[in-house]
Amino acid sequence: MAGSGVAIDVKRLFHAYFPGTAMEVPSLKGVDLRIEREETIGIIGPAGSGKSTLLQHMNGLIRPRGAGYGDVVVLGLNLSDPSIDMRTVRQKVALLFQNPEDQLFERYVGDDIAFGPRNLGLSKAEVRERVQYAMDMVGLPFSFKDRITEDLSGGEKRRAALAGVLSMEPEVLVLDEPTAGIDPQGRRHLMEVLGKWLSRAGRSMVIVSHTMEDIAELADRVYVLVSGQVLLHGSTAEVFSSYGLLKKYGLGIPTAVEITRFLKKEGFEIPPGVVRVKQAVQSIQGILHGRKI
Amino acid sequence: MAGRSDFTVSIKLGIGQYVATNSFFHRIDPRVKIVIGVLLIGAAVSGNSLLGLGLIFFLIWCGLLVSRVQARLAFITLGKMLPYLVFLALIQIFTVPRFHESPNVLWQWRILIVTGQGLISGSLLILRFSVIMLGLSLFSYTTTTTQLLHGIEHLLRPLQRLRFPAHELALVVNISLRFIPILAEEAEKLMKAQASRGADFGIGRRMGFIKRMRRMFPLFIPLFVQSLKHAYRLVEAMEARCYTGGRGRTNLINLRAERRDYIALVVGIIIIGGLVTAGLFNIDAFVWRIFNTRV
Repeated sequence: MAGSGVAIDVKRLFHAYFPGTAMEVPSLKGVDLRIEREETIGIIGPAGSGKSTLLQHMNGLIRPRGAGYGDVVVLGLNLSDPSIDMRTVRQKVALLFQNPEDQLFERYVGDDIAFGPRNLGLSKAEVRERVQYAMDMVGLPFSFKDRITEDLSGGEKRRAALAGVLSMEPEVLVLDEPTAGIDPQGRRHLMEVLGKWLSRAGRSMVIVSHTMEDIAELADRVYVLVSGQVLLHGSTAEVFSSYGLLKKYGLGIPTAVEITRFLKKEGFEIPPGVVRVKQAVQSIQGILHGRKI
Repeated sequence: MAGRSDFTVSIKLGIGQYVATNSFFHRIDPRVKIVIGVLLIGAAVSGNSLLGLGLIFFLIWCGLLVSRVQARLAFITLGKMLPYLVFLALIQIFTVPRFHESPNVLWQWRILIVTGQGLISGSLLILRFSVIMLGLSLFSYTTTTTQLLHGIEHLLRPLQRLRFPAHELALVVNISLRFIPILAEEAEKLMKAQASRGADFGIGRRMGFIKRMRRMFPLFIPLFVQSLKHAYRLVEAMEARCYTGGRGRTNLINLRAERRDYIALVVGIIIIGGLVTAGLFNIDAFVWRIFNTRV
């Protein structure tokens, strides 16, 4: 096994849609990206920068076109190798698409969540166990398994969809805009679930989002993708300190960073590495205490 | 080995893709293209001259090349259809002899008989389909759906006096065409989402037809639900902009035929007329006879 410390290794990856036709659109132009085990990576970038295409390479929905187009190595398996079993890869790397609630198709919630485990060929008891585990993970009562899928609220549907991929018991969770289009409470809840999922050993996550707060909350490192290339990568704090560059490409920084930036400009002492709301609050409290003395 | 673009449904649909190269074919009045297209389909279906159909096939191919669209794509689509066409042609070849009074038997094995007539009708079937498919590809590569919509509406306008809903019909056609790529994209997304959860669509592998269809079943339900949702959203968006149907609606684009269009119309009609005449006067047999006497 090559590099057991690496979850996903993307090496000089190229991709184009409709190759060889008049409509050819290059979408990835030599992307290098590495996700260590137990690490959470955030990917940000303007619309059309190739984020979704990149994500789809991570569980082999799209495979590198051939020699010279780069490699994707998932938990030691090179996806360019035609002999590998894609189902193993997809069990280990679960991908949750944008608006996953639109993709529920079973009549009953429980059946939909059981879709993955059943495809893995598990026994009835095991499937049941997986469904129970996944529903518990996302905070849906087990009794919801007998509800009609269409009758769930938007937030509940999103949770059911997340349960549907968590029931595969993956090692890497890849999320495309997990919080887009749900209400603030739904978002908070989802962030809690993801944090809880990550707390177990050996788990890694990749999260694409336009909500910088999501990235700040979860990611250890951030990659900035602009028109198919990695513009910038580094620790979350490092990346969000490059405000000018991010702004130039239509991106933003989390509110916490914005506030502390402002305070810094006003001459206040702010410790480095502040990206989350909690950290910002602590540093502001520090300032207030300092004043009092 | 599995194909690299495992799930791209949209590219598999050669028809319905506009390619903007702004060639001569792009600039022809859509009404002319529609009229010629309809005539062509009629002539191809009823025509029984192999030579004529072959010539038209060649002309359309030239048209694809001249218009600088992806001729390759059209042929890929055609190639995908070919196994079905060959199957149908085989049925023709083995059943037609029963209906001929003086069969020209070329080969016989027990009850299977291949006759000249059978071979001809089999090849005719393949050629007819190919001509229609290629013709439709040329049409859709060079005509935007908006042009198509205007073309249909203009052509049907005289019928509006008879209370024929020309505008509505054009709109329905337009919307149906618009939905094809949307549905293809949606299907692709669903397939990917389900494949991510371990579903196996048998892509790149051999799998029985029934089994394949059964695997596809979970796609149809969300696809259906989503197309209904799309439709509702579309209705709301149209009503929000005060759409009330065809009555009193004016057009941004008024089609006006130019000299180029008349020439195209005349040339098209001559070619199709040629095909029909070739069938009527049995040109194939005539050419065959000349060819045989020379040799």
